[in-house]
Amino acid sequence: MTLTLKVNGQEHSLHVPRETSLLAVLRNDLALNGPKYGCGLGECGACSVLVDGIAARACVLSVAAVNGREVTTLDGLAQGDRLDPVQQAFIDAQAAQCGYCLNGMILSVRSLLNHTPVPSEAQIIAALDHNLCRCGTHLEILDAARRAIDLDAAQRGDLDG
Amino acid sequence: MGEPVLGAEALPVHPTGLVFGVVVRPPHYRWDGLSLVNDRLIAVDDKALAALDDTLQVVIEGDFVGVVAKSLTLARQGAERLALRWEPALASDSTRTVEPAPQQSVVRQHVSQEPVSRKHVSQEYGWPSRLRWGEAPGWVVVEQSDATLRVWTHTATPEALRLDLSRATGRAPGEILIEGPEHHLATGLGRHCGDDAAVDAALMAKAVGRPVAVWLDAGYMGDVQALGQAQRMTLAASVDPHAPITGYRYRQAFPRGDVAAVGLLLSGRAAGDEGGACAVALHSPYTFDETRLSAHTGVRDGAREELAEIQETFAREAFLDELARARGDDALTLRVSHLEDDRGRELLENVARRAEWGTALKGDSASELARGRGLAYAQLPDRHDRMESGVRSAWIAEVDVNRITGEVRLTRLVVGQDSGAEVDTARLQSSLQTRLLGRAPAFDEWGDGGGPPPAALPATTGTALNSETSAPPSKDSARVSSGFDEAALAPGVAVIANALFDATGVRFREPPFTATRVRRALAQAVPGQKAGGTPTSVTFKGRRWLAAAALTTVAGSAVMAWPWKGAIAPIARPAATLYSAETIERGRLVAAAGDCAACHTVAGGATNAGGHAFDTPFGTLYSTNITPDEATGIGRWSYAAFERAMRQGIGRDGRHLYPAFPYTAFAKTSDADLQALYAYLMAQPSVSAPPRDNALSFPFNQRALMAPWNALFHDPTPFSPDPAQSELYNRGAYLAEGLGHCSACHSPRNALGAEQGGERYLAGALVDGWEAPALNTLSRAPVPWSEGALFDYLRTGRADLHGVASGPMAPVVAGLAELPEYDVRAIAHYVARQMDAPVVDAPASAAASERLLAAETGPVGQEAGERLFEGACAACHVDNGVPGFTKASMSLALNTNLHSDHPDNVIQSILGGVHDSAVPGTGSMPGFADSFSNTQVATLAAYLRARFAPEADPWQQLEQRVAEIRRPH
Repeated sequence: MTLTLKVNGQEHSLHVPRETSLLAVLRNDLALNGPKYGCGLGECGACSVLVDGIAARACVLSVAAVNGREVTTLDGLAQGDRLDPVQQAFIDAQAAQCGYCLNGMILSVRSLLNHTPVPSEAQIIAALDHNLCRCGTHLEILDAARRAIDLDAAQRGDLDG
Repeated sequence: MGEPVLGAEALPVHPTGLVFGVVVRPPHYRWDGLSLVNDRLIAVDDKALAALDDTLQVVIEGDFVGVVAKSLTLARQGAERLALRWEPALASDSTRTVEPAPQQSVVRQHVSQEPVSRKHVSQEYGWPSRLRWGEAPGWVVVEQSDATLRVWTHTATPEALRLDLSRATGRAPGEILIEGPEHHLATGLGRHCGDDAAVDAALMAKAVGRPVAVWLDAGYMGDVQALGQAQRMTLAASVDPHAPITGYRYRQAFPRGDVAAVGLLLSGRAAGDEGGACAVALHSPYTFDETRLSAHTGVRDGAREELAEIQETFAREAFLDELARARGDDALTLRVSHLEDDRGRELLENVARRAEWGTALKGDSASELARGRGLAYAQLPDRHDRMESGVRSAWIAEVDVNRITGEVRLTRLVVGQDSGAEVDTARLQSSLQTRLLGRAPAFDEWGDGGGPPPAALPATTGTALNSETSAPPSKDSARVSSGFDEAALAPGVAVIANALFDATGVRFREPPFTATRVRRALAQAVPGQKAGGTPTSVTFKGRRWLAAAALTTVAGSAVMAWPWKGAIAPIARPAATLYSAETIERGRLVAAAGDCAACHTVAGGATNAGGHAFDTPFGTLYSTNITPDEATGIGRWSYAAFERAMRQGIGRDGRHLYPAFPYTAFAKTSDADLQALYAYLMAQPSVSAPPRDNALSFPFNQRALMAPWNALFHDPTPFSPDPAQSELYNRGAYLAEGLGHCSACHSPRNALGAEQGGERYLAGALVDGWEAPALNTLSRAPVPWSEGALFDYLRTGRADLHGVASGPMAPVVAGLAELPEYDVRAIAHYVARQMDAPVVDAPASAAASERLLAAETGPVGQEAGERLFEGACAACHVDNGVPGFTKASMSLALNTNLHSDHPDNVIQSILGGVHDSAVPGTGSMPGFADSFSNTQVATLAAYLRARFAPEADPWQQLEQRVAEIRRPH
């Protein structure tokens, strides 16, 4: 069957079985390697993407389930040369060790800020609670999330102004 | 037929101020030939109605009772709450048969000697008061203004209806405009209940002063049955194989031959309005010695002159056919030899030549179609009652009768008329097909017709046409019946009856010849026996099939325990063109309701090619190939074999089927639905897939043991609606107990694998490694189900306070998606009644769900389970305040499975996950079969139980159960 998938603002027509995982389609068919294959069971969050602006685990989602919705991957977060404030915050905070989990961390923070522009410390921790990091970079990641709040607000100010 | 039909979707017109009316008929009423005998209304108590809605109005006129409201649902509820007291009709009336002596007769006397070989033959024919209730459910609307009364209805008899409406409302017939889709087919041949509904609506509209809409459906069957015969014709003659027919007698029993609308009769307005005496002169074109024709004169209020002619012609021409067969004569020869009129003889012979009378009809004896040809003739007087200058009319018709469905198609019609306008035979053919034979039934027409009522349509918003945009009223009111000279149609009824006899050997002595009636008559007719008193010394083309039908009837009776059944002879696969597209489409919906594909398709395999494994306590069973493949499927199964399998659980070859195939439920299915299902299955692509051998342990592999099993546990009685229950409930019961076979999974089975009834009906069961939860009052849902929640679940695959459809239920919901909303609502209503559930979620349900969520805390001493939950489940199953597209939308605390006595569904979900491939949008969850050991699954399940269903007892022997469920089939 033919499915229509809108990824990072671009429409794709796909001929794949409807139960194919979204992650497989993104990485294999569309060559978008921002989302990573981690546990494959929705446990670690490395595969996260945004569906209509909220975080989703692409490894447990069938491609049919996002038919007609808007998918954003890490690859589509920046606007041209201008990084997303969350990406910039992670660079500023030097929040990467091996970096495998960062896709999920960045998109989870992006999703959180879309929903709650000024989250509390507890809300940040809850939002990242089920994103696993094996290198022990948790403190830097939390720091990056806090920086992202301000950067994001500033950019929204820019845009508004 | 391409003409528009008043459908359930929209009113034909939506005048301002439209209200909806429902009538309440007396408990007992019937037509005795002269008048309506009915219970008398003596008291009305409408106090209960005010509580319902203060705009409800009750209309009483004589014994006519109607309730008018702003919606149909409200009117129906009002009618149910209306307390009426009736005085029973006099007991003596119920046995009285009025048959006054005829007062006028035409006698031709000619005395001759009576030879010894003479045989006296006598026969009775009938004419119904209503041909049937109607064609299809639809709206009847009446709107009145100062100048006109406009009526939108189905009618075949607009002139008779106009007269009834005139008497019901006191308006001149010229002020009454009848609108409707079928007037170009109006034949005047026979009434249906469109006339009764129109008079009901008119009486109510007159009383409330607003336009009224009435829903016409099979509910009006009550009128058809109560009115019974309008006319009875008795014929007799003396027959001698070597001499002309003598002693011909014809007598009409009743003076009117027609029955006015029930509402008019009940209102009392029909009485005292007599049209005066008029003589009916009957004519016979034939010359028989000692002919006596008798019909009534006297009071014939509202009687239609031409109807007496039609009734006489029908009975005479069919009776002559019987006489010809009794004498061993050809029907044409017999008529010509008794006609003195040269023009008539010439016409008959001409028509016979053109229709190739006497040549054999090409037919395939193995096919399910029986062919037949019939002849009829009439000579009608001109308008001055002169026979000589009247019209002569000779008819020959050919029909195809489907021996299985009873459907009759008028395939050829040759009509010759010696004067007058040219006859449009194509139009006649289509008209007769519709009037007398009917169309293919719709899926929703079950039993003897009767679709669902429409969802209550808004009474105020103009969703439908308003009167300005609908068709303008006909200016020339006479135009509606100008299609044919009504009386000239008289041979049309007899010619079909004669052709039907030729095809099937069964004599139909009363119209109409609808599929249901033909089917019943064929099923009752057994070779060598009298079918309704028919002489059977005739060739019997229907024998092959009828023998099979007789066999199934016998199989259904007390000899069921006989262990070996005969095989039913294989047939060539029926041609794809044998069934109409409508029948096949209906069959597709029946298959969806029965969800055949769920069991007859293996994952990833061809639809209905079989091979799906069933784990039973007796061993493993595999479903069979039900595609029309001749070698490995059911391609060579005749309908008789198919029906026997569906109702008795016996395969074509005579082997017993195991009740994993729920024939115990399918036996409840209506004939019409089963036939449509057969048509649908036979029209599907055939797939070659040999059946797999079952792996059953002894003694369960002995199929013959199923015979005593059936005798003990199987009741093959078809479903019959409970008159004490609503239409919605009965429809739900029909679907749930029959095709839907809910109890096949949801009722526990006894040690011998039979479903348990009574209190155990729908009490829940373990099937195929899954638990089918209880659907009765034993339901363990933490928040009680409501009818609305059940509907959501069945329609969309999820209910907000309960969970999603998964496992074997997912394909069921996917199948139900094909059914109309009414059917799904009916099933939800029926199941809700088994649960004693409220209609909508009670406020208590919302409170209960909040309490459950608040009580959710981690159990103590289950740290291993908690770690598993946090690692594998929490990302989606814990609400952290941030929305997530892959987050489960419902807390596990509300999940019925965690509150059940059995851990099966929880284990299944952990191992296999939840997939929305069957029902999109229900969510998806990965399976953990490959990443968790049995111990881990058991630990996790125990934790889930303790955390989300803390009031329930812990599950026992979890690890063992996990191992059992995980074991591959």
